[in-house]
Amino acid sequence: MSEPLIEVKDLHVEFDVRAGVVKAVDGLTMTINRGKTLGVIGESGCGKSVTARAILNMIPRPGKITQGEIIYHRRRGKDGQAGLDDIIDLSKTETDGKVIRSIRGGEIGMIFQEPMSSLTPVYTAGVHINEAVSLHHLTPVRKVGDQIAEQVAAHRNVTKEEAREIAIKMLRRVGIPKPDQRVDSYPHQLSGGQRQRVMIAIALSCEPAMLIADEPTTALDVSIEAQILDIMRELQETADMAIMFITHNLGVIASMAEEIVVMYMGKVVEQGKVLEIFRDPKHPYTQALLKSIPQLGKKKMGERLASISGMTPDPFNLPTGCVFHPRCPMFMPGRCDKVAPKWTQVAEGHYASCLLYEEA
Amino acid sequence: MAVAEQNAPAIPVKQKQVSQSYWSLVWWKFRRNRVALIGGIILVAFYVSFVFVPEFVSPYALEHISDYVEAKPTRIHFVDQNGKFHIQPFVYGMTRKIDVVARTRTYVEDTTVMYPISLFVHGDAYKLLGFIPTDLHLYGVDQKSDPKAIILLMGSDALGRDWFTRIMIGGRLSMMIGLIGQIMTIIFGTVLGVASGFYGGTIDLVIQRTTEFLSAIPDIPLFMALAAAIPTFWTPIAVYFMLTVILSFVRWGGLARQVRGLILSLREREYALAAKSAGASDSRIMFRHLLPGTMSHVIVIATLAIPSMILTETALSWLGLGLRPPLTSWGVLLQDAATVRAIHTTPWELWTVPFILVIILAYNMLGDGLRDALDPYGSR
Repeated sequence: MSEPLIEVKDLHVEFDVRAGVVKAVDGLTMTINRGKTLGVIGESGCGKSVTARAILNMIPRPGKITQGEIIYHRRRGKDGQAGLDDIIDLSKTETDGKVIRSIRGGEIGMIFQEPMSSLTPVYTAGVHINEAVSLHHLTPVRKVGDQIAEQVAAHRNVTKEEAREIAIKMLRRVGIPKPDQRVDSYPHQLSGGQRQRVMIAIALSCEPAMLIADEPTTALDVSIEAQILDIMRELQETADMAIMFITHNLGVIASMAEEIVVMYMGKVVEQGKVLEIFRDPKHPYTQALLKSIPQLGKKKMGERLASISGMTPDPFNLPTGCVFHPRCPMFMPGRCDKVAPKWTQVAEGHYASCLLYEEA
Repeated sequence: MAVAEQNAPAIPVKQKQVSQSYWSLVWWKFRRNRVALIGGIILVAFYVSFVFVPEFVSPYALEHISDYVEAKPTRIHFVDQNGKFHIQPFVYGMTRKIDVVARTRTYVEDTTVMYPISLFVHGDAYKLLGFIPTDLHLYGVDQKSDPKAIILLMGSDALGRDWFTRIMIGGRLSMMIGLIGQIMTIIFGTVLGVASGFYGGTIDLVIQRTTEFLSAIPDIPLFMALAAAIPTFWTPIAVYFMLTVILSFVRWGGLARQVRGLILSLREREYALAAKSAGASDSRIMFRHLLPGTMSHVIVIATLAIPSMILTETALSWLGLGLRPPLTSWGVLLQDAATVRAIHTTPWELWTVPFILVIILAYNMLGDGLRDALDPYGSR
């Protein structure tokens, strides 16, 4: 049933800085399915955002994709006909070339962690949305009954009134009150939650096949966060859009995603259905992460919250064998520090890379 | 937030949401700065009168050569010899006295004839704004009835031309060169500065070393070399245009460097990344998203730099390197007043100086006001 949209295969991203080479993403493999939500969780600096940027071929200098491929199954036309797929390797597209620019925003949208600074301060919300639309030559307004006009519409520029209508419609869809007034608001006149809604409206205005949400609610307070998540879930259902949801908030991911990828130091350590992973985490790292969630009523008064012992390793000097072994409570001396674990199926549709589940 | 607004009581509150754009905030703040406002008004008045309608403001045409050579400024009277007060000011006629021994030429007032000064008089024909034929002048004395009538508010030059007329007409070139030159500097400086800051690397290196090279050359010799390169057979207008290009060519470096610094910080903002992820091209990110963020700074720098542009033109023309007669600019006029003899015998030829001072002070007043106003969120 599930149809792959993006397949990341053995991706390596390296940053060649003065102090040495940092392997930000180290052999990452994952699949994002059409219309589904994939959650990506992990500590800060484990390569979540770099992976997202790699999909749009937007890795900041001096970073580089050194190995691997990102296969994008591009669907021609939005009529949903099967068998019309183009296959593009996004990692090999020319940086800032025409192909990747038409995919960015047009087919893969992205929203960021900082809604406060993601809008250009000199433009109103409406101008932002219209820019996104005009960059991809989209004309959602079509006159019924005029087929010639419809064909012409594919590349014609919209008029000012039409553009404004589109912007207002988009703002209404993301639940901004009084959209006909807010369309003329500058970013500094909007609250954080409203700005993030505008960002979502921009990303959705081109009806992308996938939305990359890079910690979209981290900077917002919990009530706004709940509203934003509701909107995203609702829009996903109506627009049949895949979401790659990056976060370090386990509560958020549990309510958003169908499938989860757990990352540690640029590698996927565990992958599976969200319920499976929360009920029965296999990798010691995932187990430790889940233990560190504070839970009401589960703990006695005065008991300390569990934390993962040790620190994330020095990125220039990664541990041998399994990168998690220095912090692992199940550390098996002589094995974990020597042998790199393989990707193993631990249950149906549930994978982990840990030597515990490999036969010796 | 949204929930609260939806649950608000259903009483229709008529409240027009005024969208305060950045520029309306700037204008609101600028208006409260009286000094800057005065500077701005002076500049507007100067530019309108000197650039667009100097022929109308001055009483004569530039080519109007009178019999009164090196005459001192005409005095304006309200009270005549008999102690009678006139509401309409008037001037007396002038008679020339030549002292053969001292070899001087002086003019004395001939109190027997009186010429009333009136507004909107008919005089020399000219074309207003270059295409409306007219002969109206703002002020003057009636020349039609008595050809000897003359008013020289700031005296006359060695050919008998009205000095005030020459200052008015000369102001056009001097003031335009500052403005046009500065606009060209802004274009060179921002485009190169934005590219330099946005791309970094080799492009940045080349542009920055070029600005350093240009700023390392002493100004005056560089101007001399460039001005000497202008072919002598060119028309005065071509020379004038070339001079503006030279001025801006030498001066873009500082602006480019400041814009580069601003872009270096702006390009790391999330909105640059957001624009990129929306599929915007490099030039779109640079000029639509990043450049507006530098504009307030550029405008202030540019406003404060125009006076130095005007002064440079004046200095170059004074040295004989810039504009040359028959073109008239303030630098050319000052050249006439550059000798000790001129200062001694015809000191009114220094009337050009106050005009230059006023315009430069006005620019500085405006520039300071803009600097405060363009940061409307700042304190003060």
